[in-house]
Amino acid sequence: MVKKKVPDWLNSSLWSTTPSAASSSTATTDTNIFDHHSPTTASPPLESPINPPLPPTAIRDEEQQQPRHHHNHHHPQKPEIKDKLSKSSIVDDDDNNNIIINNNYSDDNIINNKIIITNNDIRNVDDDESSAEDISKQALLLTELSKKVINMGELRRIASQGIPDGAGIRSTVWKLLLGYLAPDRSLWSSELAKKRSQYKHFKEELLMNPSEIARRLEKTTVLNNDNGKSESRCVLSRSEITHGEHPLSLGKSSVWNQFFQDSEIIEQIDRDVKRTHPDLHFFSGDSSHAKSNQEALRNILTVFAKLNPGIRYVQGMNEILAPLFYIFKNDPDEEMAACAEADTFFCFVELLSGFRDHFCQQLDNSVVGIRSTITRLSQLLKEHDEELWRHLEITTKVNPQFYAFRWITLLLTQEFNLADSLHIWDTLLSDPEGPQDGILLENGSLMVPPVGYKPVQYWTEETLLRVCCAMLILIRRRLLAGDFTSILKLLQNYPPTNISHMLYVANKLRGQPSH
Amino acid sequence: MVLVLALGDLHIPHRAPDLPAKFKSMLVPGKIQHVICTGNLSIKEVHDYLKTLCPDLHITRGEYDEDTRYPETKTLTIGQFKLGLCHGHQVVPWGDLDSLAMLQRQLDVDILVTGHTHQFTAYKHEGGVVINPGSATGAYSNITYDANPSFVLMDIDGLRVVVYVYELIDGEVKVDKIDFKKTTATTHSAH
Repeated sequence: MVKKKVPDWLNSSLWSTTPSAASSSTATTDTNIFDHHSPTTASPPLESPINPPLPPTAIRDEEQQQPRHHHNHHHPQKPEIKDKLSKSSIVDDDDNNNIIINNNYSDDNIINNKIIITNNDIRNVDDDESSAEDISKQALLLTELSKKVINMGELRRIASQGIPDGAGIRSTVWKLLLGYLAPDRSLWSSELAKKRSQYKHFKEELLMNPSEIARRLEKTTVLNNDNGKSESRCVLSRSEITHGEHPLSLGKSSVWNQFFQDSEIIEQIDRDVKRTHPDLHFFSGDSSHAKSNQEALRNILTVFAKLNPGIRYVQGMNEILAPLFYIFKNDPDEEMAACAEADTFFCFVELLSGFRDHFCQQLDNSVVGIRSTITRLSQLLKEHDEELWRHLEITTKVNPQFYAFRWITLLLTQEFNLADSLHIWDTLLSDPEGPQDGILLENGSLMVPPVGYKPVQYWTEETLLRVCCAMLILIRRRLLAGDFTSILKLLQNYPPTNISHMLYVANKLRGQPSH
Repeated sequence: MVLVLALGDLHIPHRAPDLPAKFKSMLVPGKIQHVICTGNLSIKEVHDYLKTLCPDLHITRGEYDEDTRYPETKTLTIGQFKLGLCHGHQVVPWGDLDSLAMLQRQLDVDILVTGHTHQFTAYKHEGGVVINPGSATGAYSNITYDANPSFVLMDIDGLRVVVYVYELIDGEVKVDKIDFKKTTATTHSAH
């Protein structure tokens, strides 16, 4: 058949994000926590999506919960479906990122849920952070993390469902996922010390300005003006310079020359750092914290640029760096937070190593470059939703480069606010699926990454592309109804959406389409 | 780490056509933060050229300058140092350390930069340091014979100044440096 229809599970009202009075199955949640239930006693669904904002200092109550059901194994990994909260409260958060609360629960299993939130910086928390789910995940993660040797596969499995915000778990888990911390706990302190001192060494070496370098190199006598009341009048002695090092030197090996050449990049980094997340107090504003955080970002990017002359600094790296630093700096463990800069540097390097080919202009048209990745996204969309693909590519001629470029290179940080990005990154980082060699397909053939790709890089990109594809599929109705302008407007300002839902859909796109 | 270029006595176009090519190739925009010029440029085109090197340009009037609006002396504060600028033909005897020291005390500066003699010198006395960057073009002077083109670049870094002296000797650029430290910090006044 030519036209592939949208899979049924996608069309079920289970996934619709607008409150519908007639909702589907109303099975009780006694046996299956994933079934949606309509809010019976929870009043007519709230019409306005805008609820009064919560006082930001409201503290989350982690109250007793009933014995948890373990996830049904044949349900996919997105457990955070609002079984606990009524449907109406899942309405998209509005532009002000107000947090939706609804205290009415129809389910008699649920005890009063007092809800929430937040860090004063994260302005939106997914509604799926219902405490019960979270506590169990938190418990699972903590158990896993406290083992002597951590089972990475298990950790990935749990982490890919989302990491709870509290207790600094995310910071540790990300460090493990990125390979900064070894699975064996006993190695941690020595490894950390080594890495941190290495970073310090980098900073000292690379961030010095030439005056200081010259001072270190010189062996000539310095004329000390220490005699304040000296009557001595003399001709100041001239001394030879070492290695032809003077500020106007044009020599390639001259420290000064390199400094001036680098200053352009440093200026660019400085500009971008100042523009990172202007809405968050953590990064911008006049407080000393913001300044020191910006300083840290600047240092990391500068050291990276100097250590990688091939790729230097490209605009956008600051956006990838920001969530990492944010998480590590906000680690409740004092010692970890103090060394956040060094840790972030190495994790940033690791994270970027999977995606650095996207930043290299020469590779744009190569197999590993950004164009080819965008083509892969197109292919993926075509496989799973040909109607939408046709509409975008052929009917309205929306070149995927117009929207997907930013999605892919910046790992979706610019499309969602910080909290949502963190959630998405949980899935991205914990899910390089597939063995090193390839994926065994249903028809028996082996899907391997094309030549030139590192397997881990390929599979991580696969995950990212699946999420992008899910993003497209979720708003398909609006896309199908739109023309070039409206589609582009929609995709370049992606509407707020339910992240867990999106990740669930992305996960379903794994492997080959079912029909 | 502030770079300050000090030069003067170019006497373009009367006594010299242009800066030596080797100097010109080194003086590129973007590296230098301030330019101080002792005078005797002499024409506006030289002023414009110096302006391209750096927007912060300070000039004092030499006796052959065609623009009469330059001041006789100038003082400025850069970092922890106070610099004074004067062409030097006003200070008699020309190039005499004692008289220049008097001027320095009068201007109350740490580093006094003067010219007119077309000869590079750097003196230290109890009040501070007097630097003469010489003539950047090596123009003829009735005081100094066979003047070599020279200029001075100061790297001001906290309480320390490294003075790089650039001279064109026999067609080659020779660079020397002089270190100078100050003991007390300057209290900044609004400039």
